[in-house]
Amino acid sequence: MKNQFIYGFLLLIFLALPPVANLLESIMIVHMHMQMPLLVIAGFLMAGLIQQRLPQFFKRWNHNGVPGILLFSIIMVYWMIPRLMDEALTVQSVELFKYISLPFLAGVPLRDSWQKIRPSFKNVIISCFSILFFAMGWLYITWPEQLCNNYLLIEQITLGWGFLTMAVCMVIYLIYNTLVDPSDYEEPSELSLEEA
Amino acid sequence: MIRNRQTLFAAFLVLLFGCALFYIGTDGFKAYTAETARVIQLTDDKPEFPANVTLEDSNERTYSISEFEGKYIFITFMYTSCVDECPLLEMNMGRVYDSIPSEYMGEEIVFLSISFDPERDDPATLDMYKNHFSADGETWRMARINDQVELAALLETYGVIVIPDGDGDFAHNSAFYLVDQTGHLLDIIDYKNVELAANEVVEILENEEGAQ
Repeated sequence: MKNQFIYGFLLLIFLALPPVANLLESIMIVHMHMQMPLLVIAGFLMAGLIQQRLPQFFKRWNHNGVPGILLFSIIMVYWMIPRLMDEALTVQSVELFKYISLPFLAGVPLRDSWQKIRPSFKNVIISCFSILFFAMGWLYITWPEQLCNNYLLIEQITLGWGFLTMAVCMVIYLIYNTLVDPSDYEEPSELSLEEA
Repeated sequence: MIRNRQTLFAAFLVLLFGCALFYIGTDGFKAYTAETARVIQLTDDKPEFPANVTLEDSNERTYSISEFEGKYIFITFMYTSCVDECPLLEMNMGRVYDSIPSEYMGEEIVFLSISFDPERDDPATLDMYKNHFSADGETWRMARINDQVELAALLETYGVIVIPDGDGDFAHNSAFYLVDQTGHLLDIIDYKNVELAANEVVEILENEEGAQ
């Protein structure tokens, strides 16, 4: 857990280095679909140790995982607003909030909640994000004007296709999840052999 | 049970936080792009047209904005070598011009197209360009700003972003700018919505007349 925390923390520091941040933010699709998810992953890695240190907090306030998932979703949707992409580049406090909110308000609650919520609820969450990504993809591809002052129209269209690709991947996962039962393909473990 | 109640409370808090976050982030659910945020900011601030800016029009006359004191000014920013957006911008400006009752024209309101490319847009070029849009050069004037510092200050004040692309063209944002009689920015209007712009201007002029 401690190692994971260190990896997550190092990843966060690495992403915050000005040259790395500038490079990742110079391309729209990398900004949204690489830098932002990496920040969430950094928080996800750090979450383990935080959970160990504050078990009561998560038990009390995120008993069934719903508040955590809600918080995660709100933060993710918030950073999909075109204006915030622009302001992350031009307003320093917004950039700072990005580096705090994505790891600690999205990554950490996601890890704590994902193990608590029921599989059916997981599917609902993934379905919602697929629909949202289809909508965002459609919006970014078809919108005739620049949505972000700092990115060109062609980058916007690229980002739109990125959204559609992610949405398609999530739908494939959902189909796979419904049609395939993993236990059909797993070697029975020794324990279950003994039981049999 | 107590845990569940706390979790319910946490969910409620998170939702409240989310609403506050979106409210602040979008200026009260109004501005989802930086461009709309910029327009809202400008129409709230109502910046004054810089008084020291010298315009040179297609008739080679030079004057400052005080030339139009006491009149509304309907402004666009353009350059004549532009091939895509400016012709549409000026054409739509012409359509707004045509919808204004003629008794107001030149008396209560003037139209002004400002070029941000003074090197190429000399008075002769502007004169040809104005003929192309049937502008009369009096109630609808086309002018350039020769001083780069003055030009930059004006563009900055009105939030006009002009980026040279290196091949002699510019990437720029377009809109109708409506300035009141005292030289303060009154509104920024979508240039693609001619009807909305025309209605707004006529309404303002009629109210002005009623007040007198």
